[in-house]
Amino acid sequence: MIDDGAEPAAAEAVNAVDRFWESTVNGRSMRLKVPPAKRLLDLVRDDLGLTGTKRSCEIGRCGACMVLVDGAPVNSCLMMAYQCAGRDIVTIEGIADENGGLHPVQRAFLEEGGYQCGYCTPGMIVSVKALLDAVPDPSPEELEEALSGNLCRCTGYGGIIRAVRRAIEEGRENR
Amino acid sequence: MLLNRRNSGDRWRIRPDGPGKVTGGLAYLTDLTAPGMLHGLVLRSPHPHARILSVRTEAARSLPGVAAVLTRRDVPGLNRFGIARQDQPVFCEDRVRYVGDAVAAVAAKTPEIARRALGLIEVAYEPLPIADDPELALRPEAPQLHPDGNVLHSKTFRTGDVGPIFERCARVVEETYVTPRQMHAYMETEGGLFVPGENGGVAVYAPTQHGLMDRLQLARILALPKERIRVVSSPIGGSFGGKDELNVQPYGALLALATGWPVKIHNSRRESVRAGLKRHPMIIRMKTGTDENGRLLAHRVRIIADTGPYATLGAEVLNFATEHAVGAYRFGCVDAESISVFTNNGMSGEFRGFGGNQAIFALEGQMDRLADLLGMDPWEFRRMNLKSPDEPGPFGQPIAKTDGLAVVWTAVKESRLWRERTEGASAAGSSGLRNDKDRLPASEGSGQPQKAEERSPWMKIGIGAAMVMHGAGLGYGIPDPSGGRLALRGDGKIEVAFGFEEFGQGLLATLELMLIERFGFAPGDIRIVIGDSDAVPDSGSSTASRATSMMWRSLGLLQRPFEEKLLRAAAEVCGVPARQLRLGAGGVWGRESGERALSYEALAGRLAEPIVCEASTSYPVSDTDIVGAHYLYAYAAVAVKVEVDGRTGRVRVLDQFHAVAAGPVMNPQGYLGQIEGGSSMALGYALMEEAAMERGKYATNNFDTYLIPTIADLGGSVEVWPIEDLPEGDEHGPRGVGEIGSVGLAPAIAEAVRRAAGVRIDRLPIDPARLQEALPIGGMAVMSDDR
Amino acid sequence: MSGTVGMPASTSTVWHPRDASEACRLKKRFGSGAVYTAGGTLLRTQWEAGQRPEPAHLIDLSGIPEMRGIRTEGGELAIGALTTLAVCRRDPYLQARFPLLAEAARAIAAPSIRNLATIGGNILSAVGDSLPVFLVYKARLIWREGEAERAEDAEDWLERGGEETEASVRLLLQIRLPLDDSPEKAGRTFGFYGKIGRREAFVPSLVTTALTGRIAPDGQLRGVRLAAGDGKTVPRRFPLTESRLEGAAADDGAVRLLHRLLLEQYKPAPDPFATAEYRKLTAANLAASHLWQAIRENAGRGEG
Repeated sequence: MIDDGAEPAAAEAVNAVDRFWESTVNGRSMRLKVPPAKRLLDLVRDDLGLTGTKRSCEIGRCGACMVLVDGAPVNSCLMMAYQCAGRDIVTIEGIADENGGLHPVQRAFLEEGGYQCGYCTPGMIVSVKALLDAVPDPSPEELEEALSGNLCRCTGYGGIIRAVRRAIEEGRENR
Repeated sequence: MLLNRRNSGDRWRIRPDGPGKVTGGLAYLTDLTAPGMLHGLVLRSPHPHARILSVRTEAARSLPGVAAVLTRRDVPGLNRFGIARQDQPVFCEDRVRYVGDAVAAVAAKTPEIARRALGLIEVAYEPLPIADDPELALRPEAPQLHPDGNVLHSKTFRTGDVGPIFERCARVVEETYVTPRQMHAYMETEGGLFVPGENGGVAVYAPTQHGLMDRLQLARILALPKERIRVVSSPIGGSFGGKDELNVQPYGALLALATGWPVKIHNSRRESVRAGLKRHPMIIRMKTGTDENGRLLAHRVRIIADTGPYATLGAEVLNFATEHAVGAYRFGCVDAESISVFTNNGMSGEFRGFGGNQAIFALEGQMDRLADLLGMDPWEFRRMNLKSPDEPGPFGQPIAKTDGLAVVWTAVKESRLWRERTEGASAAGSSGLRNDKDRLPASEGSGQPQKAEERSPWMKIGIGAAMVMHGAGLGYGIPDPSGGRLALRGDGKIEVAFGFEEFGQGLLATLELMLIERFGFAPGDIRIVIGDSDAVPDSGSSTASRATSMMWRSLGLLQRPFEEKLLRAAAEVCGVPARQLRLGAGGVWGRESGERALSYEALAGRLAEPIVCEASTSYPVSDTDIVGAHYLYAYAAVAVKVEVDGRTGRVRVLDQFHAVAAGPVMNPQGYLGQIEGGSSMALGYALMEEAAMERGKYATNNFDTYLIPTIADLGGSVEVWPIEDLPEGDEHGPRGVGEIGSVGLAPAIAEAVRRAAGVRIDRLPIDPARLQEALPIGGMAVMSDDR
Repeated sequence: MSGTVGMPASTSTVWHPRDASEACRLKKRFGSGAVYTAGGTLLRTQWEAGQRPEPAHLIDLSGIPEMRGIRTEGGELAIGALTTLAVCRRDPYLQARFPLLAEAARAIAAPSIRNLATIGGNILSAVGDSLPVFLVYKARLIWREGEAERAEDAEDWLERGGEETEASVRLLLQIRLPLDDSPEKAGRTFGFYGKIGRREAFVPSLVTTALTGRIAPDGQLRGVRLAAGDGKTVPRRFPLTESRLEGAAADDGAVRLLHRLLLEQYKPAPDPFATAEYRKLTAANLAASHLWQAIRENAGRGEG
């Protein structure tokens, strides 16, 4: 028996149009005046200038705009500002450590060539990080499931699979 | 040797554009913004074919926040574009011919205002009858799209009269193949930033495969000298041929010039689908005959291509398809006639493979059918009829001599997969041949591959293979110049400049590795300049698998003069003879001392002006008079294993083997990526992709209905086996591999499916309904005492 | 195809009711100008496709306590309509007691969407891929309109077309599944969920089927329940088939009977991607093959 997720941000019937949107983005507190129905994708790209989150299909079918919300991958084109108010948001720009050192998943993509044009790569890396945070040693089925919402047109996924496997192996060695 | 990271040693390198891609720090051109930037949108036709009665823009113009509303009256120059033939209107005048046709464009302070303004533009249309079937469009009573009718182009290649020969043939196969409208589906849709300049010019930051061609086309439209237009065109979030032609650039540039403000345009996916290019759907009829021993005697080809409403590269694609419908085989007599037809369907144009994908699907289908009819092994049948290295190309034209066909044929013949087909699974399995550890094992579970002994009765396995001979370069009759530049700049950087583009293929990485290996430079010595019309020489288009060849050739031409100039300058500075020096990592080194004599920075500091060398060359061309005939080819053979679920007719690709003969591997990671990535497009082409149209309108408008493969479709093993040998004396070096991986898998899958399910595939994507059986459990039930 | 392009303007006013009554009041007040929303994932695709306009008012249901959580209540499992598909996929209790629901959740969209999308939303689409599972699990839907609460069999709701009108005020609070703990459970139970599309994952359904039942120790089929639908066809049960299979010997004949009856009774709609015939045969093949498999496994176990 569990309760399904976080408490709502604001338990009041009034509409939230005049409220500030407050959240943590990549570890920094943010306070913005944005319409509550604004898409997180637009908020991140246009208001915060974080363009690593990519715009592509805008209906959640490609994963190019994937971000983490409280650690879970979410398509930022589907999520509206009010839905993620008060939550912890991490974009691709927040995946590396504070000194700019690459995350092991980023390093694995770089070394294995798990990308070509690179447009799907931020979303792909966000999804892989979420997977490995939750399941450090996923089975092939778990990997397929976890990345089934991230389209890549260039690689045929071969390099991506090799990169994920490398990240898994490194994680294993460092445990 | 299998191509992978392990076997590539230190040639497997981190791409120079990699860090920006994995961190999200790399700004694509659609990520750019500018202060005061306006947002542009294009109003496109709701009708596949209609007369424009009137266009009224007053209401849109008067909407607060709207900076400009442009129509055909606002185009200062040529109101047309097209790489090969300028027949596509920037803004339509009196007629729209497809649902992507542009009628007006708006720039406004916000995307929302721009969107509202589009809704306020009043266009009165009178819908016209449509031509949405290329065969019907050829009839005289069909609606005519253009003053000269509905034929864009036709191509004929005939070596004799096939009619009497077919009568002598012991075996004849006649088949009609139908191929789908495939979408490039690059992840980054078209768009960019357009910035007006102080000199009345404009800077265009928008993806294309040939920045200087965009500049030329925009100069015509804007009535500006080319020099006042700067085109910055890389990096690019995928193109596959789809961004070579102009797309949003005319609208962005016109709006920026009209308003005096930077304008951003970034197509929604829906807009991209609606307006953008697709692969030509083709109907290919082939009749092919052999003697009783299986020797090909006659080959008749009829191709009808649906090119959509305007030319772009439709004629060139048709020429290519015709050439590749003849392909690698020694036919006694060939009679090929092709026609590219205007319709009110979506735009067709350049797409990776360039017409070869359609033609080779049909051609290889003929080979498998004939072999079957003859009772021969299909691979042996091919060998018997493949041309020898001394024979001319498909159009009878002289071609560069290589053993490509024979070596890729042999590689598949000896492959684990083909041995499994001919000798059975155990024979191939026990051979201990390649066991690729670079892929996760195939998944198990419901609807997924299982070990043979556990396989359900409805799961059927088949293995098929196909040959590919694919031309590179633009072909005879189309100017195909290229060139590049090397310089030692004042800051001590070795600057290499080419007019090529990086759309993901790894051009930057290939170029960097070429410089390291050819000159001994360290990565840190090098600065690569591409994708900026103000800064690059004319290298021609990054298309037709030509860029790698042209960089290799240009650097070959540049090497001696550049080295000589640098060493001479260094010799003066160091006071030693130039012959005692050599170029190396970080600077000029003493040949004997083995020590660095001078850093590039120090050398540059002593120069009055930079050392610059330029090279001009052009893509090798055949000595022929047949337009489009190629001189250089790459060769591939593909074997594939599939599983067909008889309950659902669904096909899963389990295992692929690609042998590719394209000369030396310039960049292992890029090469592997091109073959793997190309083959995943072919997998989509074979199994799921079709931009369906109903009465001239797309039925698939986004990735919820236009399906491309996900990781779950590509769980199987993919082995890539490059064959690098070239004949002694070959002076053409590496052939490009950007397209060839996208061609052979589809026909190989078709044959594998035939082996598995006993059904011949003549149409892509494969319709599962044709592979389905009613209750495919026959004879396997465990309890039958009741019957 | 309209002349305008791109995404709507995100100008909707968003309301955050604290309970179901308040939500209903808001909906009553704004009528068809307001839309209930939870995950909002389906709405987004409808807005993008121009199938419905972005509304003036969004009524955010995420703060309504009656719609949250999973708990047992009087012999039933009550699943709050706000339960995300991700929870349906992963919850250990659901996986153990209602495994087909977890399988269905795996087959719906992709993990990132399932983190947002709710089971209530999937049901209310009337063609959601969870519905065949709820049909074979005998689910009841608990609705709230104002202060009034009403239960309705999912099957009855779907039989009436399953679609709520634009102006409909009532809210789906919960889905209740019977926790059938009756002792008469001898034999081998089986359950199967299958979804077929045009690719392997994250795909609109061409056929979705669910099948449950039991092979009694006497070798007879008991309590077979079967449902089928797809992304365009509202799913339904097949009572005639089920009753013909009740007590039938678990053998070849039953498999053929199931196949034949389903072919006769299932009436899916075609679209540009698959004919009705294809959908029908696929549904019949899938259901029959799984019954066959269950029978074979049962026999294998008996022999072993």
